[in-house]
Amino acid sequence: MDYKKLGFKCGIEIHQQLDSSKLFCECPSELRQDKPDIIVRRKQYAAAGETGEIDVAAAFEAAKGKEFIYEAYSDSNCLVELDEEPPHALNEETLKIALQIALLLNAKPLTVTQVMRKTVIDGSNTSGFQRTLLVARDGWVKTASGKIRIATICLEEDAARIIKKDKRSVTFRLDRLGIPLIEIATTPDIKDPEQAKEVALAIGEILRATKIKRGIGTIRQDVNVSIVRGARSEIKGVQEPALITKTIEREVSRQSELIKQGKKVEPSVRKANPDASTAFLRPLPGAARMYPETDLPLVKLNRKLIIELKRGLPKVKTRADILAELKKKGLHEELAKIVLSESKLAQFDKLVREKISPTLATKILCLYPKEIASHEKMPAEEVKKKIDKALPEIIQALKQKKISETEVKKIMTDLVKGKKIELKKLKKEKISEKEIEKTIKQLIKEKPGLSTKAYMGLLMQKYKDRIEGKKLFEILKKLLIL
Amino acid sequence: MAKAGDIVKIKTIKEELKGTLLPSLDPSLLLLKLESGYNIGISKKEVQQLRVEGKAKLEAFPSLKAKQKNLPGISLIVTGGTISSRLDYKTGAVKWLSKPEELLAVAPGMLNIVNVKKIEVPFLIGSENMVPKNWIKIAKIAAKLLNKKENKGIIITHGTDTLHYTAAALSFMLKNLNKTVILTYSQRSLDRGSSDALLNLTCSAHASLSDIAEVMLVGHATSQDNYCFAMRGTKVRKMHTSRRDTFRPINELPIAKIDEQGKINIINKEFKRRDEKKRVQVDATFSDKIALLKYYPGADPDILNYYINKRYKGIIVEMLGLGHLATSESEMNWLPLIKKAINKGIIICAAPQTIYGRLDPYVYSTGREIQASGVIYLEDMLPEVAYVKLGWLLGHRYSKEKIKELMLKNIAGELNKKISEKAFLY
Repeated sequence: MDYKKLGFKCGIEIHQQLDSSKLFCECPSELRQDKPDIIVRRKQYAAAGETGEIDVAAAFEAAKGKEFIYEAYSDSNCLVELDEEPPHALNEETLKIALQIALLLNAKPLTVTQVMRKTVIDGSNTSGFQRTLLVARDGWVKTASGKIRIATICLEEDAARIIKKDKRSVTFRLDRLGIPLIEIATTPDIKDPEQAKEVALAIGEILRATKIKRGIGTIRQDVNVSIVRGARSEIKGVQEPALITKTIEREVSRQSELIKQGKKVEPSVRKANPDASTAFLRPLPGAARMYPETDLPLVKLNRKLIIELKRGLPKVKTRADILAELKKKGLHEELAKIVLSESKLAQFDKLVREKISPTLATKILCLYPKEIASHEKMPAEEVKKKIDKALPEIIQALKQKKISETEVKKIMTDLVKGKKIELKKLKKEKISEKEIEKTIKQLIKEKPGLSTKAYMGLLMQKYKDRIEGKKLFEILKKLLIL
Repeated sequence: MAKAGDIVKIKTIKEELKGTLLPSLDPSLLLLKLESGYNIGISKKEVQQLRVEGKAKLEAFPSLKAKQKNLPGISLIVTGGTISSRLDYKTGAVKWLSKPEELLAVAPGMLNIVNVKKIEVPFLIGSENMVPKNWIKIAKIAAKLLNKKENKGIIITHGTDTLHYTAAALSFMLKNLNKTVILTYSQRSLDRGSSDALLNLTCSAHASLSDIAEVMLVGHATSQDNYCFAMRGTKVRKMHTSRRDTFRPINELPIAKIDEQGKINIINKEFKRRDEKKRVQVDATFSDKIALLKYYPGADPDILNYYINKRYKGIIVEMLGLGHLATSESEMNWLPLIKKAINKGIIICAAPQTIYGRLDPYVYSTGREIQASGVIYLEDMLPEVAYVKLGWLLGHRYSKEKIKELMLKNIAGELNKKISEKAFLY
């Protein structure tokens, strides 16, 4: 497809959580699954900041508005997140991480900047606005198909996490509110869908070199796309860089199709689906109202700090660097490539740190889910979701030797198929080598002269999945030689 | 010269920028609002060229006119504070509402409850800048409004820092009260969707129509936006720097709990009832030369010499515990100077710095010693209320003996002989 001819215009926006305490208070940036002990019910009035005379009827409706229920924890949230105390001074560690990223992206840090309030009316911020500040402008990142300019780098608060929604209320959890996010926006001069993916990967490499949060939900990729006679679509939350190309291609076809049918393409905010399609969320809003956070002083980024940070910039690892590292860890090159292309590096590292072998980790994260999905004829996304949920328990069971490596895939399959397996209740069964030796000796004595294969068959029948075949075979071989 | 509000193009050593110039507090900086909405600072030294390209349009803040409906009438007195200020979105400066009707836009629900007959704006100041003269002015306007048939009650909006002082002052100054007087506030400014003004104003509107003819402070009962307390003007205090539910009833239960829908639950039955046949009399006067002094370990009694020399007429001392400060056993004995001050005609009263609870001079010898020197022990009266009451009494032509007697006589609910077990940290 000739994207130039289509008048293709595209930019991407990456939101990445930074690994530090919250942006405007000292609370930890951690999501929790246990029951919150604070519930606060609030309302927000939408009349704030409308221009001119407002319609009384509309104002009444707004006043009747939805109830927002905020859940929080008394030991990991404070009055700042509850909008009961002014923000504390901007987290300096976070600012340093953001500046590092800005410098690695060749951007120019501002001399003086101001924390702004961006009006938010959906209740996801207890205050009614999101705090954000511009940190640097005008950078660039290199891709195989040329440099792409970075327009702005901002530091902002993450919003509260939505837990539940019904007609009358929305429940949010405040564990996520205030987690520092860096927002990196490119200029809209990405040439084609492939280059968009390259830019995302290149920015990802840079981010990985700094102190960022890893894992699901810590990075969000938004794509802005339009073609001539079409309209701007802001596509929210493309899951992984691998999906960017396809998502953009499908959006371009969607717009082209509408144009061909003589229909008007409306500017809209769309949600990215895992199959690279998109769904309409809402019409594209006008620029959000921004006004200064009057509770905080101007932020001065002094030269000395910038020079210091420039000197100590971390080394950015390229794809080749990471591949080499994975190979050094004992992972086959083909598997290493799979880990990288599926952006599973963070989860892979975590499993390896938990003493799971690199090969098994790759199988668990990348191969098994696909195999199970195709074997069971289930959507890959659903399989992945189910496995992700059960993964910590499977790893725990593996570590405690409640299950063996060979059993992992079967257990994953059972879980996906909806079988209830209570891994916690599995007994820790450890049959000592001595015991096995004794059993084997007994067997040889009872049935002498059988082939190794025949002995193995009998033993496997006896132990079933409780001992790995490989181990049994080793002991058996040792005893047969004797 | 470019001014704040001008759209400018700036050329610096590094780049070219376009935006709206904002007022800058730092003379070495230009503050610029970029087209993206972000504000940035540019060192004036770096500016090579600045060209004015136009003028930014200022935004209007929404405002609502009182609805012409068959609803009971009330009037508003707007005095300033966070609840009367708002942010100018373009410049970022905090300004007073330009029209009082802008306040109604925050709580449009209020206009479904009451018909706002009149909005008086005697002054717009932060409550930290208020002086007793301001209380007198509010009291006079309040009395005038309360004696008008069209008003069922009045709502006074006010900054939070000294709101409880004003509440106490009005409690003493408005005599023979016939209708409801509500004071309310906001801790979160009106420009944010989360402003607490919405609930406070709505509940105030409901409360202003109630059967309770008292001066009451109405505000968030909890951190949630579900209901407010109506608390007696002489038994309430700001207890938190920033929370919505900062005002707490002290040494008694709140008079009522009021929800958004207008349900009024009476918690404390000790109140006067509405009687619209009565006419309010203003007894607004206040003497100068009254001090509120806090005792602390190591405090030098010599401070009293200052007040003696400056011819002060009354001092409220916030004392420790049941009403103690260093006496004869201490190297910082306060008694000689207390006696000297009393001899010079200064009325000295003791109020609890514990805020909660009642003073009692008889439990320890220290207390007996202090009381014997002529200090008046003000029972469970809040120190701030004691200050207001003493200043108000001294504004009258009463004898010193009469004033001492009146300080211990309950006039506006400031003294409570029976403290409920539930009243602590309510």
